[in-house]
Amino acid sequence: MSQDEGRGERAYKLCTYCHGEQGEGRQDLASPSIAGLPEWYLKAQLTKFSEGARGLHPQDLGGMKMRPMARTLFANQNDIDAVSKYVAGLPRPQLQPTVKGRPIKGQATFQVCVSCHGENAQGNQALNAPPLAGASDWYLVTQLKNFKAGIRGGDPVKDPTGASMRPMATALSPKAMADVVSYINLLHQKQQQQPKQ
Amino acid sequence: MLDFMSLLRESASTFARDIDHLIAWVAILGGFWWLIAEGVLVWLIVKFRHKEGVRAQYITGEKKEEMKWIHWPHNLILLCDVAIIIMAINVWYNVKQKLPPADDTIRVIGQQWSWRFVHSGKDGILGTPDDVETVEDLHVQVGKTYHFKLETTDVLHNFSVPVFRLKQDSIPGRVITGWFKPTMTGTFDIQCAEMCGIGHGIMMGRIHVQTPEEYDQWLSTQQKVAQSH
Ligand SMILES: [Cu+2]
Repeated sequence: MSQDEGRGERAYKLCTYCHGEQGEGRQDLASPSIAGLPEWYLKAQLTKFSEGARGLHPQDLGGMKMRPMARTLFANQNDIDAVSKYVAGLPRPQLQPTVKGRPIKGQATFQVCVSCHGENAQGNQALNAPPLAGASDWYLVTQLKNFKAGIRGGDPVKDPTGASMRPMATALSPKAMADVVSYINLLHQKQQQQPKQ
Repeated sequence: MLDFMSLLRESASTFARDIDHLIAWVAILGGFWWLIAEGVLVWLIVKFRHKEGVRAQYITGEKKEEMKWIHWPHNLILLCDVAIIIMAINVWYNVKQKLPPADDTIRVIGQQWSWRFVHSGKDGILGTPDDVETVEDLHVQVGKTYHFKLETTDVLHNFSVPVFRLKQDSIPGRVITGWFKPTMTGTFDIQCAEMCGIGHGIMMGRIHVQTPEEYDQWLSTQQKVAQSH
């Protein structure tokens, strides 16, 4: 293992152009924050991009950028493991909220999400549900729209876990999406404040 | 003899040979003068090598018998240039300017860092609900003349199909029309040939040149996908 030391960091250099030095993401490049996401989720998504379960839909402009990148990483399985581990170890960034919704309305909607994503949107590996708290909020809205339109998770054979998210997103209007994401923002802010008290 | 280019890479479009011939002629004419120039250079080096008791002399190159060493090759090379220009204009006209009538039209959209294609679908008309949109994979029929409408959503790209000897820049804000006619079935590379960012080198696609039967079969599977959404 010692020869692999620093491998994740080296492999991550390619990602910095869009996702930033610290994995904080850049909205103008459609690159979400990825720092601190769980390793299993990073690996799963890299695999989906590389196999074409994500990033092959003609309307998925951001995903189409990511797919060739993921494919280069897959030249070597060790790179996938190393880069996922490295990114998972980066601290979750502090992001400014960009989505303006009504958190009170969003709280009611969020009760549907709780069963998989957890009370505090912390995620649940057993249900393949990633954490949502601390994610780029604009990215969450984009993905809800993508799930609803079938741009993500549209093919249950290729992306069974993504497909299970579809009926949830289908129920949401654009306004409800903004509401629920602004509630997730609020949840995250509360979690950040707690340790200081 | 002029087909040596196709030994390097198979050619699969009607105009691929024209472009190969042009490149071959440039290589032959340029190579001919290069060999002669190198030969003369080596001959002069040997002939005027250092000899005991002979001093080197300084030549300004202004006398008539000295200047002919420049003028003759220069004029002959100009003649070759004129021949190359005539051939190049001819090929340029056939490949880029003459637009043979289309059997079908496709939209090709470059974006960082993928290729997107819109096929006209069963009705053969673009912009109708039965259009088939794909990423990375372009499907065409062998022996049919295609017009392509090339666009980009962000920066400069270049739609390049090496086996067709086809290269066309895409420019933001413009829809550029070009054409090709595949002559051979098979699956070939599509690449981006204009620096477009960090993912430029891995911006890849494939063109599937199919028989009409294979194409129809592919089309029917695509339409089923479209209906299921
Ligand atoms: Cu490009």
